[in-house]
Amino acid sequence: MPQTTAQDDPALRARFERDVLPVLPSLYGAAMRLTRNPTDAEDLVQETYLRAFRGFAGFQEGTNLKAWLYRILTNSYINTYRKKQREPQTVDGPDDLDEWYLFDRLGAQSVEGSAEDEVLDRIPDEDVKRALESLPENFRLPVLLADVEGFSYKEIAEIMDSPIGTVMSRLHRGRKALERALWETAKERGLVDG
Amino acid sequence: MVDCGPECEETLRQIEGFLDHELDPDLRSKIERHLSGCGSCTDRASFQQHLKELVGSKCAERQLPDGLKERIGQLMAGGEPSGLDVHPSA
Repeated sequence: MPQTTAQDDPALRARFERDVLPVLPSLYGAAMRLTRNPTDAEDLVQETYLRAFRGFAGFQEGTNLKAWLYRILTNSYINTYRKKQREPQTVDGPDDLDEWYLFDRLGAQSVEGSAEDEVLDRIPDEDVKRALESLPENFRLPVLLADVEGFSYKEIAEIMDSPIGTVMSRLHRGRKALERALWETAKERGLVDG
Repeated sequence: MVDCGPECEETLRQIEGFLDHELDPDLRSKIERHLSGCGSCTDRASFQQHLKELVGSKCAERQLPDGLKERIGQLMAGGEPSGLDVHPSA
């Protein structure tokens, strides 16, 4: 029996428009951080919507719609754009995990008595985006999903199709790598002495 | 690491899971109790929390490209290109 699609089922289409279209801004944001340019991000989002639309009849209402969409986005990215961008698939990240890399360095600064985190606030948004985008993909994705999109470890494991332990380890390493990138950015911007 | 006792060490080891709301309730309470009485660990926890929030807010996109929403709408209205391999599994 041919599967119903959202295209020829008005109720399904209405539900798609009601539930899936509002996720567009956050999906586009994630696509930007993954592809690193607006043209590819838009293509990726369009592909994601098309796949989601076609597969929407198979989505069980009441289950995690946002995670389902991010899984489609992630798979589309890996299948299409990563090949195009020729990024190495796995990178180890920093070997020496300095657990308090940024805290210790910012704490050692005498920045007119301001707290460590005030320096961070002065880093422009675009620089924080570039810092995140500079991470290898296998570290960038969990940090993006956890800290920008607010997914739980379990959801990230489902989206990335990885064991939860792998997610936790990559998330941790990704965050530490991001701290290094932010420190370099703060130095370049002259926000800290280094 | 940090120059303090085993309770601080455990707290700091668990701080990432704590801030991610991923600890079981017993461990979570234990960490909360320690933080309420330890300024040094609280400083570190607050810093990491602030960093997490900052990445979240600064890395989001606030504006969609002009017309993207309309183009997505058209896509669903039937103008879909063929040849895409669909894997909608979740």
